[in-house]
Amino acid sequence: MLLSELKSGESGIVKDFLNEHRFVLRLNAIGLTKDAMVTLIRTAPFGDPIEIKVRDFYLAIRKEQAEKIILEKL
Amino acid sequence: MNKVIALAGNPNCGKTTLFNKLTNSYQRVGNWTGVTTEEKKSKYIKDKNIEIVDLPGLYSLSTDTLDQTNALNYLTKTPPDVIINVLDGTNLERNLSLTVELCSLKIPMIIAVNMCDQLNNNNVRFNKDKLSKIFNIPVINISALKDINIDLLMDKAKTSKDIPIQLDISKEKGENAQSKRFSLVEKITEQVLIKKPLRLEKTTLKLDKILMHKNFGLPIFFIVMTIIYFLTMKVGGFFGVFISSFFEKLSYNTQICLNQLGVTEFIVSLVCDAVINSLGGILSFLPQILILFALIAVIEESGYASRVAFLFDLFFRFFGLSGKSLLPMIVSCGCTVTGLMSTRIIEGESERKMTIFLSPFMPCGAKTAVFAYFSARLFNGNPLVATSMYFLSMLCVGVFGFILKKLKTFKCGIGEFLLEMPYLRVPAIKDVFSVLKEKVKEFMTRAGLIVFAVSVFLWLLKSVGVSGYVGDNVEQSFLFYLGDILKYLFYPLGFFNWQTAVSIISGTFAKEAVVESLSLLSDDVSVLFNNRFSVYAFMAFILLSPPCVASLATAREELKSNKLFFMMMIFQIITAYIVAFIINFIGFLFDVSGGLLLSIIIGIIILSSLIFAIKRLKNYKCNLCAHSCGGGRKCQTKVKRYTT
Repeated sequence: MLLSELKSGESGIVKDFLNEHRFVLRLNAIGLTKDAMVTLIRTAPFGDPIEIKVRDFYLAIRKEQAEKIILEKL
Repeated sequence: MNKVIALAGNPNCGKTTLFNKLTNSYQRVGNWTGVTTEEKKSKYIKDKNIEIVDLPGLYSLSTDTLDQTNALNYLTKTPPDVIINVLDGTNLERNLSLTVELCSLKIPMIIAVNMCDQLNNNNVRFNKDKLSKIFNIPVINISALKDINIDLLMDKAKTSKDIPIQLDISKEKGENAQSKRFSLVEKITEQVLIKKPLRLEKTTLKLDKILMHKNFGLPIFFIVMTIIYFLTMKVGGFFGVFISSFFEKLSYNTQICLNQLGVTEFIVSLVCDAVINSLGGILSFLPQILILFALIAVIEESGYASRVAFLFDLFFRFFGLSGKSLLPMIVSCGCTVTGLMSTRIIEGESERKMTIFLSPFMPCGAKTAVFAYFSARLFNGNPLVATSMYFLSMLCVGVFGFILKKLKTFKCGIGEFLLEMPYLRVPAIKDVFSVLKEKVKEFMTRAGLIVFAVSVFLWLLKSVGVSGYVGDNVEQSFLFYLGDILKYLFYPLGFFNWQTAVSIISGTFAKEAVVESLSLLSDDVSVLFNNRFSVYAFMAFILLSPPCVASLATAREELKSNKLFFMMMIFQIITAYIVAFIINFIGFLFDVSGGLLLSIIIGIIILSSLIFAIKRLKNYKCNLCAHSCGGGRKCQTKVKRYTT
């Protein structure tokens, strides 16, 4: 499934990134790497962007990018 | 021999707070990622041979945003003698990832775990000896805010020669290296930290449910901003009255004293009108400006600013901006210069440029002084007038952002958006006060130097004419001749007199000068305007025109292109003109007293010539971004370390 398909409170393990390479590197640098666990905290009004919890911190990311992050649902 | 100690660490882990404590300086701090955008250097207060360098926050050594690249270049090109790696104790795992990378620089290092007061409060057990053993460098628990263990840290840092163990030995770069490093870090954190949910995190989650609520989040923000402007005007206005009446008395009494001493009229007028009155004119707005700055600082310090960026991202994207554009805009509500500098946190090049174009619309402290001046004199001190100015500026950001989006210049660069949500904190009163202290200093120098010089210069022009000193016969002065010509430019906006024309011109240096020159040139402002709408048009013109010389210089620096810079200036002046014209036009619809046709004609002539100017600049090609605009010699993306 995709990160954008999570409902709030649900979690998943990151399996793959289909984003642009440069952006993947930024995600990795910040701590959103393969095998990391992400939890969806909330979505903004009208569903975009979304707030997720990765490792020990909270991160906002746009839906268009979240649609390219593949998860394995927990 | 001078020793250089650099502070490095993730964004928003408290490097600048530590820097301020070590060097006794007052650099801006705030609870969001990317407050510091350039490295700052200063001497350690207890040992002048040591230089402390504060770097912008880094997530990783392979980075590509503008502010982070600055930090990276500093570390690799001019390696410091010692690195103090500041870690945010409340978020050790991600912070340690950078530590592992920093080890590869082979520079003596020392780890400072910041915000240890938060850890102790929450009974989180953290084994610093183990961490120290893993990296083979000293680890010290500190709290920059509460001044815990700072001296101990510096004693260790001064003598530190321990080069950390390089744990991450793989030479790989890119994705695999990053995820390997994080799994390494996971193992380290497991060893040193016994995790328990932080109290800070729990309260943040609870508050976020309200602040970022799907339906109420946006209204809450508007209510907060309204309260800010309401308080600024009401409370500030209350204190302002005392200051202005003090200066009136001072000027009156000085005049009597000097007259009795037999000083010539020229000198008396210089001292009383140019110096005391105009200084009083601007100082009486100091309370408003201070309250505004304090409240903006609270928004930044608490971490609310990032929440607002999150809520507004979708809307701002519609206008061609990013949610992060809101952070510089909120900062611009205090001062546009610092606002423009914080645009560096925005990733998309075109989004960043548009934010630079649009954030000067925000009502900064000096502009707020102008609104306070008018609302006190012409609107019975109604605080809603200034608040409405704030909403007008938001409206203009939206409308003109939408128009700018259509231009070719702003169609390059891919807007990515990654924003860390910091924990909400109670703002440190000390930080808010240090912001205020700096602002008072800055305000005094500005009022004292630029604005003061402008007002003395204006007074000279006002009192001297072809026939020498003209005294009260202003109609023979040079300034009158000048303003009398310029006033035709503003006829369509509803203020057709030389005083307002002169005040707008002097306002190009700094908006405080508008207040000063108006109080110097006219005793009763109400006669200068056709009706209330034209007063409002004047305020709108002030709101949307470039704030001051310093902000223009900063914008030039940030845009890195003369052409774009001139385009920005013309754009802002046109916008100010159009909006003021529309407001005045609405006034005409209510009160048809002639002159309508004439003002439309003049307005169209001036606007079309300006539009002609911008059309010539429009065919400009972006040379900062290689993605969709062909790229150029100066292309930024070529500098970046990893490209596809």
